[in-house]
Amino acid sequence: MTAATFARAEADPRRLFKALASQEALLAIAVIGLAIVVGLDNPRFLATRNLSDVLLGNAYIAVAAVGMSMVIVSGNIDISVGSLIGVLATLSGTLAVDGAPIAITWLAPLVVGILVMGLQGVVIAYLRIPAIVVTLGMLSILKGGLISVTGGKWITDLPDSFHLADIELFNILPMPVFLMIVATILAAWWMRYSARGRAIYAVGGNAEAARLVGISQRRTVVMVFALHGFFAGIAALLYATQLRVIQSTVPPNLELTIITASVVGGVSILGGVGTVIGSTLAAILIAEIASALVFVNVSPYWIRAVQGVLILVTVIADILRRRRMAGA
Amino acid sequence: MSEIPLPQTAKRVAPWWLMRHETMLAAILIVALIILGFLNNRFLTVDNLLNQGRLTTEVGLIALPMTFVIITGGIDLSVGSTVGLCAILLGYSWKNFDFPLPLAIAFSLLVGAAAGFLNGLVITKVKVPPLIMTIATLALYRGLAEGVSQAHSVRGYPEWFYFIGQENLFGVPAQLWLLLIAIIISGVALDRTTFGRTLYAIGNNETAARFSGLPVDRVKLIIYTLSGFMAGLSAFVLVSRVTTTRSDMGIGYELDVIATVVLGGSSIFGGVGTIWGTVVGLAMIQLLKDGLALTGVKGDATIVVIGAVLILSTLVASSLQRRRGGV
Amino acid sequence: MKLGLAAALLSATLLVGTAYAAEKRWDGADDLPVNPLACGAGEANAAPAAKPYDGGQPTNPPDKAGKPISLVDVPKLIGIGYFNATSKGMQEAAKELGNVTVKTDGPTEAKIDEQIKFIDNYVTSGVDGILFAANDPVAIAPVLKKALSKGIHVVGYDANSTPDAREWFVNQAEFNGIGKAMIDSLAKEIGEDKGFAIVTSTFTTPNQARWIAEMWAYAQKCHPKLKWLETVEAQEDNNLSFNQATTLINKYGDKLSGLFGMTSVATPASAEAVTKAKLCGKVAVVGLATPNAMKPYVNADCVKSVVLWNPVDLGYAATYVMRAVVDGKLKPGATSVEAGKLGKLNVVNGSEILLGPPFIFTKQNMKDFDF
Repeated sequence: MTAATFARAEADPRRLFKALASQEALLAIAVIGLAIVVGLDNPRFLATRNLSDVLLGNAYIAVAAVGMSMVIVSGNIDISVGSLIGVLATLSGTLAVDGAPIAITWLAPLVVGILVMGLQGVVIAYLRIPAIVVTLGMLSILKGGLISVTGGKWITDLPDSFHLADIELFNILPMPVFLMIVATILAAWWMRYSARGRAIYAVGGNAEAARLVGISQRRTVVMVFALHGFFAGIAALLYATQLRVIQSTVPPNLELTIITASVVGGVSILGGVGTVIGSTLAAILIAEIASALVFVNVSPYWIRAVQGVLILVTVIADILRRRRMAGA
Repeated sequence: MSEIPLPQTAKRVAPWWLMRHETMLAAILIVALIILGFLNNRFLTVDNLLNQGRLTTEVGLIALPMTFVIITGGIDLSVGSTVGLCAILLGYSWKNFDFPLPLAIAFSLLVGAAAGFLNGLVITKVKVPPLIMTIATLALYRGLAEGVSQAHSVRGYPEWFYFIGQENLFGVPAQLWLLLIAIIISGVALDRTTFGRTLYAIGNNETAARFSGLPVDRVKLIIYTLSGFMAGLSAFVLVSRVTTTRSDMGIGYELDVIATVVLGGSSIFGGVGTIWGTVVGLAMIQLLKDGLALTGVKGDATIVVIGAVLILSTLVASSLQRRRGGV
Repeated sequence: MKLGLAAALLSATLLVGTAYAAEKRWDGADDLPVNPLACGAGEANAAPAAKPYDGGQPTNPPDKAGKPISLVDVPKLIGIGYFNATSKGMQEAAKELGNVTVKTDGPTEAKIDEQIKFIDNYVTSGVDGILFAANDPVAIAPVLKKALSKGIHVVGYDANSTPDAREWFVNQAEFNGIGKAMIDSLAKEIGEDKGFAIVTSTFTTPNQARWIAEMWAYAQKCHPKLKWLETVEAQEDNNLSFNQATTLINKYGDKLSGLFGMTSVATPASAEAVTKAKLCGKVAVVGLATPNAMKPYVNADCVKSVVLWNPVDLGYAATYVMRAVVDGKLKPGATSVEAGKLGKLNVVNGSEILLGPPFIFTKQNMKDFDF
């Protein structure tokens, strides 16, 4: 999208809304459509048990993608989030085993997440170091630091009350799904209707124009990263409390999965465009595809290739759709 | 060809050896070398330094076109996967298609170029942002490598095949000659040709470059194809060095290469960067890792140091540049 | 229109995918010969025919018999419990021997290229001996041979290299011994005419590939009615492995009676999946894992037995072997070696030293171990 067409779309919010809405609609259709297609091949895919397992097992990715989408919309990127989640999960588990009150074990990753990410935001915004450099460096620092401190020790004697992810609200709604939905809706609402939220789009779309209308790019970037840390903290909690043992390592490739979810969800790296609803739907779709490929017996050797093709097709289709809308 | 009128904000007004960031970095590098050499007497030996050159060639070959790509404001995250794919196809076409080995090597280089070409094509014609496109091909090319290889390795190459990866030529590791030639060609191309100037123009202001009549799309296509081709070349050196093919080869190369280029002073926003800087960045990371290891620092602490060095040196360099009135 | 194109592309890839779906050997993908053991109870390790020594030798190693030596241990990666345990065993042996120092250092991810660079650095820095667990047997050979050529002793453990690249290899258990132990354990728990699936790390991890191939060969021979359903990859991520195991449970439903976990990440994750699906006792989980990671599941009676060997002993033995090599007490052609508290260990397959039969961790003996 050129600057000119984006300015036009910005000026007509309804057009922008339409452009955004259709990526989300497309994703929703894909999620449902895929389920039906696979269900025809193997009905067990459609069992409530399976569908809820797909959601439960991957909700943490969707939550992390909420924060990541904000970062990308603001015109930045973060590749340290995977390492951070590993660190936060280990922190939480270690506190739990050491007997800290459960509330503390749940709050600690949120607080530390906000601090670490916020710090990166400060370095990016005030010291003017590109986000890719800061987060690349931080990725190594966190990973090396985690291994140095824990040596990859398994955390195993977790108290039962620790397992946040096992809680079911009103005995029906599992906590991971609840948190995923709440995080998505709150973030989406905030980004569209609050001044600070809209500032993120402004800063990502055209930082100079934003500055001229009084939006501080620096403060917005720090805020975005701090929020990203908050959501990463929640994701880490879900990640840590799901299993009975915690492996004190960095989950491999997690940041790539999260970025993919945001991007497939319609968030543009050029900044200024995209919603967290899209990224959550995309995260669900990606998880669903992973499960579907096993169900339809795609040879395990070709699974990643199929995923790659799907991402490529989605991305190309999205850009073409945008160009058609904007160029019209 | 007539002189291309560059926009006012062009950085390339000073002679190349006066580029600030690179000189600063080279100074830091020399200080680091002296300290590490002092801490361990096996570090600054010719033997060790040449060996480090050998080990750093694979990343170095890819860092050269990546410099071009980053100068234009783009990025290529698929290089690691391309290395894996080319490595697999080298072995696969030799063993399963019965290609004579030289043909297999040429084939894998061709595949690398094609992989890069696909990136470039979609980036220029469909206008998918480079970050996104290359994230997608990162997954796709790795997947193809896994699918084609079916977890099999190909081994047992003839003796001559191992020359480039393991032997010396006039006392210097063979692949290092390759890297040196590539560095010289890239440096000249970036510095002294229209092609190079076009890259900076694109990075500084792509719209203006287009309106100036520069062949923006063609140049972009070339650099992404080059990126894939060099990944294929790197794969050839890698397979020669480790005598086998694996579908997980090259995992993580993209981050190593980007760290090298960025450390060397190229701005991720485009418009700034030199081959010389990339070379210094390459030397810095490799020698730091090596020096730290020889001094007794373990693997996990080393990557913390590298991460910190990356952030700090970018900080130092960019603040110095600002004070001198740049950026 | 674009959607149509996408759908066509997707179907095409799926078709290609399914065309390759039928994999022989359950994806023990290395085409090396298998050697299944005899069926039935008894020694898990048959005595293999004696082979001539086939290891490599260092060139003009300095004579350090009886003198202090400094060793470096370069495992596949650092920062996981398994190699923490082998490292611990090495430290124990070093302390007992008194004239050995061992340092463990390695890449933070299981990448052969990184591992080679680590070993290369230590060759330059002039250690007396290198202990290693290889990420790839062929790729690691050139740098190990370089070490040998510089007079450095090389002994492997856990994951072998090509024999000519090292002097000795301390083998925790024969591949076919593991294959037999795994299949027998599962058959004992679920019966003969049942279906099972395998969760592994990646298909390119050499040890896992060999174990799966041997499991296939042994099952063909001694438990032909056991029905293999599928093998999935789950990298080294606990949560990913959990998701994969859950998908398998949901896909096969009643047809799935057992899960094999091939790594110390896959096994606890599979146990977790069975626990969460409330199928403890109905779906058996058998696998290789470190006891710490399995404690909650074994204590809950979800998992009956965990197959492994004692990695602490493995590291301990490797150190003693290195000391014996340097002291000239272990030469090519020897048939056994003294390994401290482990007693006498036998030489098999030319240049391998066998730790012993696989060790089965159960609820009773687990509390004695902390790794």
